[in-house]
Amino acid sequence: MPRGARTDSRTDTVIAVACVLAALLLLILPAAARDRSAGVIRGTVVAPLAALQQRASLARRAFVEHDSLVQIADSIVRRSQRLDEVTAENARLRGLLSLGRALRWGFVPAEALVGRGMGDDHTLVLSAGARAGVERLSAVVAPDGLVGMVEQVDAKTSIAITWPHPDFRVSATSADGAAFGIVTAHQAAGAEGYLLELRGVPFRAQLRAGTPIISSGLGGIYPRGIMIGTVMEELRSTAGWARTYLLRPAVRPSDITSVMILSPERNADGVASVWSPAIDALTHKVVTAGDSVAKRP
Amino acid sequence: MSARSGLIAFIFVVLVAMHFTLRPILDWRAGVDFLVIAVLVVAVRVRPGTAAAAGFALGLVSDTLTPEALGAGALAMTIVGFAASRLKAAFFAENFALNAVFVFIGKVAFDVVFVLAERRLGGVSLLAQLFIWTPLAALLTAFVGLIVMALVRPTLERRRR
Repeated sequence: MPRGARTDSRTDTVIAVACVLAALLLLILPAAARDRSAGVIRGTVVAPLAALQQRASLARRAFVEHDSLVQIADSIVRRSQRLDEVTAENARLRGLLSLGRALRWGFVPAEALVGRGMGDDHTLVLSAGARAGVERLSAVVAPDGLVGMVEQVDAKTSIAITWPHPDFRVSATSADGAAFGIVTAHQAAGAEGYLLELRGVPFRAQLRAGTPIISSGLGGIYPRGIMIGTVMEELRSTAGWARTYLLRPAVRPSDITSVMILSPERNADGVASVWSPAIDALTHKVVTAGDSVAKRP
Repeated sequence: MSARSGLIAFIFVVLVAMHFTLRPILDWRAGVDFLVIAVLVVAVRVRPGTAAAAGFALGLVSDTLTPEALGAGALAMTIVGFAASRLKAAFFAENFALNAVFVFIGKVAFDVVFVLAERRLGGVSLLAQLFIWTPLAALLTAFVGLIVMALVRPTLERRRR
């Protein structure tokens, strides 16, 4: 072997041995010193490579988890879409429980069985019938107020007319008893068809917007004190001796899912205390608004 | 630096970059070791001392990302680089099959030295690593190494002429 080649070979061996010794030295370093050394190299020379590896790992994770993340996102969206519905249902059921507690006796709970479609907006099939003690001409109420009246009774179900029905009538009064009249459905097309009218109010009795209107107890079907609605505005009077008011109903047809059917005995005992807190609050609001208007310069 | 050396350096950098990008994305239990291929590509074209130093540097780089084994990769890569450079005349013929065997042995040698030096595995795990995962990884690495050499060799030969 030529001398130069032998020298080169020796140099190569020396470099290799030095590298091996350095590697062995790193292997036997104490853990703390080893971590420190690795940290220094990682923070300088290897930093770009470590960043590359980190991004690659993130990319892989994003790729692998994409489907499950989409599923999670979808289920969250679905849940949030149902949340409003569940919250409203929860509020309705809470209201019904409160109504049951307030009435205490003399009522039959029932569910509105069929979805109301075209042509049957004014009637309601209820899940309780004669076997549950339901009688014809019983008042049907919901937590917010009056729903209607039972018209037909079968063994297990009954059919009630609701307040938008053309035959619906209820004797009504303002909460303070200053005005009396008959509440009927407002016969108008479109959304206004779902409002009520308070007719035959004596001309001397003037009602402010927001005044609560309740059943008067006259007629024997609806006991006194059931919330019917609130005054919206006065309609043009057709005769000079009486006023007619447009009412916003207390119960919206779309909210009628669970109701209470009052027994005739309960009618006799009265239900004035059940809706009185809500009526008092509404009355107070109307009075306060009137006072504020009067105080304005 | 000649154009040929520049090209080899470029291939080396690309292989190192692939090791830190493609390998984590694939995340196979028996993954392709691009660093071994990079060291072998360099080792057959430089002196054994340089190959050993390159192997040491590359091994140290990979070790810093797994600090418990700091030095094990450097040791294994030094030995593989030096040995590959010494044995290049025997192995690096024109025959592609021999090239593949060369890469396969390089990867197996690296894994054996690395696993024994880091002393983390023992018993069944060690045997499973050496007799199942290492050969599988070596096969894959040999396959990829063959592709790399098939791509690189014509260019390098053209430049040599």
